[in-house]
Amino acid sequence: MSPCRLSLLLPILTLVACEPEPAHAPSTETRSAAPDHTPPAARIKRLTEPQYRNIIRDVFSEDVRLPANLEADERVEGLYAVGAATSAISSYGVEKYEGAAYDIAEQVLDTDHLRAAWVSCDGSDPTNDACAAEAIDGLGLHLWRRPLTGAELSTLTDVALHAAETLDDFDDGLAYGIAALLMSPNFLYRVELGDGSEAPPNGYDDWEMASRLSFFLWNTTPDADLLDAAGQGLLTDTDTLAEVVDGMLADERTRSGVAALFTEMLHLDELDSLTKDPTVFTYMSDELGPSARTETLTVIDRHVFDDDAPYPGLFTTRRTWVDRTLAALYDVPAPTPDGFGEIELPADGGRRGILGHASFLALQAHASSTSVTRRGIFVREVLLCTVIPEPPANANTAIPEVAEDARTMRERIAVHLEDPTCAGCHQITDPLGLGFENFDGLGRWRTTENDAMIDPSGDLDGEWFADAWEAGAVVARHRNLGACLTETFLQYATGNRSEDLDGALVDWHTEGFAAADHRVHWLLRDVALSPTFRGLTEAE
Amino acid sequence: MKPWHAASWARLLRGTPARSWRPAAGALTRRAVLRGVARGSAVALALPPLQAMFNTSGTAYACDGVLPVRFGLWFWGNGNLPDRWTPSATGSGEEWALSDQLAPLLPHKAKLCVPTGLACKLPNTSPHGSGLAGILTAVPRIEAGDSSKLGGPTIDQVIANSVGGDTIYRSIQTAASNTAGESWNGPDSRNPAETDPYAIYARLFGDTFVEPGEDGIVDPRLGLRRSALDAVMDDIHALSARVGAEDRARLDQHLTGVRELELRLARLEEDPPDLESCERPDAPTGDFGDVDGRAQVRRRNQVMSELLAMSFACDQTRVAAHFVTNPVSDVLFEGATSGHHDLTHNEGGDQPEVHAITVHLMECLADTIGILDAIPEGDGTLLDHMVLFATSEVSLGQVHSIEEMPIVLAGSACGFLRQDHHYRSLSGENATRLLITLQQAVGMSVSSFGEGDASASSGLSDLEA
Repeated sequence: MSPCRLSLLLPILTLVACEPEPAHAPSTETRSAAPDHTPPAARIKRLTEPQYRNIIRDVFSEDVRLPANLEADERVEGLYAVGAATSAISSYGVEKYEGAAYDIAEQVLDTDHLRAAWVSCDGSDPTNDACAAEAIDGLGLHLWRRPLTGAELSTLTDVALHAAETLDDFDDGLAYGIAALLMSPNFLYRVELGDGSEAPPNGYDDWEMASRLSFFLWNTTPDADLLDAAGQGLLTDTDTLAEVVDGMLADERTRSGVAALFTEMLHLDELDSLTKDPTVFTYMSDELGPSARTETLTVIDRHVFDDDAPYPGLFTTRRTWVDRTLAALYDVPAPTPDGFGEIELPADGGRRGILGHASFLALQAHASSTSVTRRGIFVREVLLCTVIPEPPANANTAIPEVAEDARTMRERIAVHLEDPTCAGCHQITDPLGLGFENFDGLGRWRTTENDAMIDPSGDLDGEWFADAWEAGAVVARHRNLGACLTETFLQYATGNRSEDLDGALVDWHTEGFAAADHRVHWLLRDVALSPTFRGLTEAE
Repeated sequence: MKPWHAASWARLLRGTPARSWRPAAGALTRRAVLRGVARGSAVALALPPLQAMFNTSGTAYACDGVLPVRFGLWFWGNGNLPDRWTPSATGSGEEWALSDQLAPLLPHKAKLCVPTGLACKLPNTSPHGSGLAGILTAVPRIEAGDSSKLGGPTIDQVIANSVGGDTIYRSIQTAASNTAGESWNGPDSRNPAETDPYAIYARLFGDTFVEPGEDGIVDPRLGLRRSALDAVMDDIHALSARVGAEDRARLDQHLTGVRELELRLARLEEDPPDLESCERPDAPTGDFGDVDGRAQVRRRNQVMSELLAMSFACDQTRVAAHFVTNPVSDVLFEGATSGHHDLTHNEGGDQPEVHAITVHLMECLADTIGILDAIPEGDGTLLDHMVLFATSEVSLGQVHSIEEMPIVLAGSACGFLRQDHHYRSLSGENATRLLITLQQAVGMSVSSFGEGDASASSGLSDLEA
């Protein structure tokens, strides 16, 4: 048993050093079988807005102009993936879906090369039912992620032909059939139900597995090859499933899938609406938020795919990719005049790891100041899956103003840590958040605040650190770090609420992840092959 | 943040996709039923409901219970400073005067009804959440994992479910800042607010908008769209039979949306109601994005208010929920040194910045009231035939107080509510009673409302005229 596993399993505050072991795949002989468990009841999942856009791009073409605004996704338990399985669409959202469906259908039929991919006739005969049925059948497989039944095909073909006859135009009519495909719940929801009832799914079928795998690993719809594999029954057989998953993992699309996953998990989408007072933060610009996202996603991408490096290393690595905007903020030379280039952050600069990125430091801060509490909450909730209760509603949460004897945030918030009504929670968040006070509310390095020296020391569950540099290492070796990523991946992959996941199964994946040196790429595969992801009670 | 790229405006200005289904000018078979008939003299013809409510001179029958009463929710986040909000004297007319924070409403004092001292009775366990539940739903929050969520529909939806069935839109949601708003059909079912003035303009007054006096849209494509939706409804029914209860509820909500859309398409074929002040407003112009990190809340509130007012005047909807800012909003207001929510907690002393922001929000409210009151309708104005319910999720934001809830009512709802009146509850009466009165004001026969600690069994008769 590795020290990592020991520290994960023992609920004690211990300082077990956990240096990554040499990379190796865990031996299937030594890993115990997955525990029997009851998979959570299946839930249909509404496509997220990024998924909708990705599908249209992949099924049709990048040439299709995408709808301007679909209904926004809801975050539940921090993830849009969980919100997609729990929230309902509004009437306005339905209206937007209709507008988008006709917009897309029209563009496809008006663009010769897009039309030709699906429609074999020239459209001169409004009554050409065979041609309409062929187009709808072909598109149906890709848009509904399964073959249409005869009855479904017949209904949609009738819609198209009736419209074609009414308008005396084949293409104008077919647009209604295509739009109906795009407005159907069979497109808008990922219908993965297994046996389809309140009961456990009892195994997802091949088409459902194609969809689950594709959205988990690629954040888009199954391609023709994956649909072929489903048609051949390869996705319900344990051995062939593993082969297919390995093929998918080797595909470039898994890179964008992982980027989508971490964008959700780390709230990187919110960087588009970063609000900062530019009179306080002179380095603020419209580009900063998107640049910060690119930086973090690039570091993760290289770490996971090019280096296959252990997850904790993300919090200590000095490698990063910056553009001129970020180089200026970080006070380092820009590596390239245009776009992003790789740099190694200085060993004495105080900044390293993704907790040294503006994506964290600026987002988890106020419009004109830092927020020790928000930074602490983010690390606790998102990275360590710690439950932090809501503050008591009637508490006065005011932070005392700057005074001669309280110039730094540490001095000002001392009250949170002394007042017993506040201390319960703020002891969980603030000593950690204080570690990042050397970075202002945008992520710019500083050593003083109101002319007083900043003391950036703190601690995390009893492990003391001197500054953000060391805090990164303390987070990296925290016993919950691997378990939390495992649970997050399982939630992201299944859409399940945390409470619906089977604890023993999560533990089993967590232990496997630790034994595999916390390599993210390994975890992706393990979750894709998980019995709960397949809807199975027993491991096969 | 800059969600207002020129490219996306251009996209929006091209109109809703419905545009392409609108026949080109002259291409449709126009009915001429009303052509040449003077406005308002055609009452004998089969007319949409509202038109029948006007007499032959085009003025409304004096609010005798026939004219539809509209409801508007006007919401802002983070509350007020109760000590500077509450007027010092109670009563009507010259008996009371506006407070510091209500001062911007002075031009409209004659049409205000301000109840103070009302309290939310739900346990105050969730900062910003308990008060939101109390003032908008009167239903206890539902515990969900590590947090909690609203447990019932918000008041705009309660009212829309009763009075929203006869219009093209059951209700409309808008926002003046970047928020999804807090209009909910029930748990996990939000009606997201439109934040983009261009998008809401295209939706309400785009190519499917028909001005009074024109004919309804006659286009076979409207019927074809309904046929396609029929197929979609079949799919929803088939899927519903395969899923569990929670998913079935979600699909029911989806089905509601499809049905409303079908109904809307059918109504587009009807001639529009002949309403005296209804006309296509000018399209929004300019950039509504943040300027130097500061949201243009007032400008966005004005343009949204104008569009909502006209959608009322055209009887496109009778219920609107407008979110100037959201609960816990950290919008950086003009002149403020930090975000609004941050200031409510961390500004010291008498919180002069929080005060200034609250006053600014009341200036925005005055803008909205003025816009509604400028539209003539019958013997009065649109404002007289509605009630605008302005409120927030807390009173004193610093401690998340849900006593002394900030509430302003504007408009008499056709004479139902007292005007130019300050009512002070000295016993901290249940705010749910106000929600009962609001439902009664729009004609609903409701005598009890709310669940658990929030439930109440009578309205506030002191607010009634």
